[in-house]
Amino acid sequence: MATAGPSSSSSHSESSNNASGGAEGGEDEAPDNSNFECNICLDTAKDAVISMCGHLFCWPCLHQWLETRPNNQTCPVCKAAISRDKVIPLYGRGSGNQQDPRDKLPPRPPGQRTEPEPQNSFMPGFGFGDGGGFQFHFGIGAFPFGIFTTFNNWGGGAAVPPEMERELPQLLQYILLIMAFFFYWNLFFG
Amino acid sequence: MPMFTKLAHKTSTAAKSSGQTAAKTAAAAAAAKGNVTSPAGKHFLDNTRWQKRLQKELMSLLKEPPPGVTVDVDQAHTKLTEWVVHMEGAAGTLYEGEKFQLQFKFSPKYPFDSPEVIFVGENIPIHPHIYSNGHICLSILTEDWSPALSVQAICLSIISMLSSCKEKKRPPDNSYYVKTCSANPKKTKWWYHDDTV
Ligand SMILES: [Zn+2]
Ligand SMILES: [Zn+2]
Repeated sequence: MATAGPSSSSSHSESSNNASGGAEGGEDEAPDNSNFECNICLDTAKDAVISMCGHLFCWPCLHQWLETRPNNQTCPVCKAAISRDKVIPLYGRGSGNQQDPRDKLPPRPPGQRTEPEPQNSFMPGFGFGDGGGFQFHFGIGAFPFGIFTTFNNWGGGAAVPPEMERELPQLLQYILLIMAFFFYWNLFFG
Repeated sequence: MPMFTKLAHKTSTAAKSSGQTAAKTAAAAAAAKGNVTSPAGKHFLDNTRWQKRLQKELMSLLKEPPPGVTVDVDQAHTKLTEWVVHMEGAAGTLYEGEKFQLQFKFSPKYPFDSPEVIFVGENIPIHPHIYSNGHICLSILTEDWSPALSVQAICLSIISMLSSCKEKKRPPDNSYYVKTCSANPKKTKWWYHDDTV
């Protein structure tokens, strides 16, 4: 997943990290490398960055975490405030071209929410198409809000971050209410 | 409303750091032997990085399990995204001698998304934060989750939650919650608050 440019990976090719291309079995790092493992994927940090609080990550891993909670960006290890601009890229001797890892971000995994255009991006998040999802749980939480948190969000594409839930257009809320109605209609009379 | 104490949360963060260290050393050892393979390699995780992470976690749980914890390896190998973990009540606690089973389900977004963790089987611990359907009110399982946490850290956290229990009883809203909740505890809007239980 983490695409190192060809030039940077060639310098230490046999030792490690090409395994991220999907090779199974024979694993990479030596035991003493565990100090240099990313705190998210637990593998040797790749395109390494370090936070102000001193915690090491692959940039792709950390980036994905920051995207997960854009409004509450904290260090996964110590919960200190963290941001893209406050991490330091690490350049080891073998890292070939010293391009800032933050500039060569791998394309985001498919299904992640892209910034604006809410109309298209939040629908898949409810998991309508992915079979078996679609559960309701009433009773806890304020009603219109609770309903959004109960759609099966697994396996679908976009996660719906909390701030979007609150901004959902009124029309969609009504549609969802009507769907909830039919769901229960089926339960009781179907 | 589902209940939760900050007490449980604090013990969990303590457990987190020790669990992580253990996980790392064990994972590194396992990796060095080159025996981290997965017969279930092509399951739901399309991203090999996260498959590898799950395999590492599995290996470390096998090599250095928290006290009283065993993971059902065959089950995990059949389906890497669904584990069953056996847990024994620690000596000197209210749960001494009891046996429990925890079910872990990992979504394709793991570890950015917390696993779904519930008690399953005959014996669900009687505890003020554990519902009779196996749902656990523990903040690291939802809003306090971090990708730096692990199965090991969750196990340690649950062990310490059990061990610090002074009185075996169900949450006050147990019957209502169990009747109305979704099968997936992550769909519950847990109401975390300071609570002096
Ligand atoms: Zn990483
Ligand atoms: Zn930190």
